[in-house]
Amino acid sequence: MLVVEGLEVAYGDLQVVWNVSFEVPKNSIVAILGPNGAGKTTTLLALMGLLQVKAGSASFKGNSLIGVPTHEMVERGLVMIPEERAAFSSLTVAENLQLGAYTPRARPSLEKTLDEVFAIFPRLAERKTQRAGTLSGGERQMLAIGKALMARPELLILDEPSLGLSPIVVERIFEVIQQIRDRGVSVLMVEQHLEMALEVADHAYILEMGSIVADGTSSELAADQRVQEAYLSL
Amino acid sequence: MTQLILQSAVSGILVGGMYGLVALGLALAFGVLKVLNVAHGELLMLGGYAAFFAFTVWGLDPFVSLPLVFITMFVFGVILYYALFRYVMRTEINTRIKNSLLLSFGLVLVLQALAVRLFTADERTISTAYSSEAITIGLVRVPVVRLAGLVVAVVAALVLEWVLSRTRFGRALRATSEDWTRAALTGVDVRRVYLIAFAISAALAAIAGSMISLGYSVSPSIGLGWTLKALIVVVLAGLGSMRGIIVAGLFLGLMESLAAVWLGGRYREVAALVLFLVVLSFRPQGFFGRAHV
Repeated sequence: MLVVEGLEVAYGDLQVVWNVSFEVPKNSIVAILGPNGAGKTTTLLALMGLLQVKAGSASFKGNSLIGVPTHEMVERGLVMIPEERAAFSSLTVAENLQLGAYTPRARPSLEKTLDEVFAIFPRLAERKTQRAGTLSGGERQMLAIGKALMARPELLILDEPSLGLSPIVVERIFEVIQQIRDRGVSVLMVEQHLEMALEVADHAYILEMGSIVADGTSSELAADQRVQEAYLSL
Repeated sequence: MTQLILQSAVSGILVGGMYGLVALGLALAFGVLKVLNVAHGELLMLGGYAAFFAFTVWGLDPFVSLPLVFITMFVFGVILYYALFRYVMRTEINTRIKNSLLLSFGLVLVLQALAVRLFTADERTISTAYSSEAITIGLVRVPVVRLAGLVVAVVAALVLEWVLSRTRFGRALRATSEDWTRAALTGVDVRRVYLIAFAISAALAAIAGSMISLGYSVSPSIGLGWTLKALIVVVLAGLGSMRGIIVAGLFLGLMESLAAVWLGGRYREVAALVLFLVVLSFRPQGFFGRAHV
């Protein structure tokens, strides 16, 4: 569904992503894992058209994504939840969700999707009239996911969904991510928490210093000696 | 003495309505685009001339020409955005203020010189049949044209507030002003939001100009003075509430008038600037400001 080949990204003269290639097949959860500063977020931002791509290609359902404006990505079904505070704190929960269905493609089914989101996160229905800025960290992440679902994504991209959340909340978020996949939405996520991510992902890539250093199915990576030494048996 | 104070207070509040109306557009552009358009007063001046010539050439009453002036200056705003401000928007969000200051200051000079050329430096006022009419309440005389200006200001603020809080486009505007990157990731065409917000800002300046050429007067050099007042109002009110901006405008007008009565006419401007400094020092987010717009 999403195919990225030889992606290179630089901030001015400073190149941070080198020849990165990965793929997200339909109906799967793919994780890009790696330490802080490996270039994970940079890769996602470049993919979404928020940073200039220096070289390489990216395509979604066979159409190139290079040079496509960010809002057009959302219309095409690629929806990214940025790291932390993805919802707008000055808008209420309901306004954030309505705004989520901003694109022409998502607008007609706004009411229906809203019911679905409230079914997944009943807490959001309770907090409808509250400003997003007053929510707890977990509720904010739920709102961020709910808002992204309002856009009716075909591929949901999550940047560090576990960041700053308690283990119980993280578990709940990962459960929801699996539910979302079961509804036919592909998922690409970037994570630092390897163990947790490998549990839910079908396939994972390890990114280090801006390059992919390993990839495989989650079970392969979990069993991999190097990966274990580097990340899991800390 | 009581009569003088009351009359000054009312005049101050009426002119304060204009301060608020001018500040609405400035605050919109500042809040959404993060640009400071010091040529806002020149847009007002052009709007004032548009209403003046619509009246003298075509005999259109300024309230009839109001929608026309709005639309004309909306289109002019679109042109200005494409020709100039678009380039400022490509720069980092933190450098937009200084870039827009330089750019719009240049625009001030150009528009002023152009206005002198085209319209001469004469002061102009729209004088309709009802221009000299006034309502007398007790000891106080309220000129109808100035009262109408205040009503227009309040209506403009309420409509703008309704658009921001109740419409799909309003939500997109607020989202963009909070964080344009996240707005883009939500599917909002941020450039279009910038363009429309800027054009509305210009059109609002023109509405203020119409009312000013009816209740007060226009000349090519009035722009900067109004911009300065609008800036003070925005600082007093803070960003986030359109109603708050009108209230702050009224407050500024009232304070200026009272200072003029009690301390003497030359203290009018001093009062405004002292108010400006006090609020900046003790409540930089303004009376009605939030951390985010």
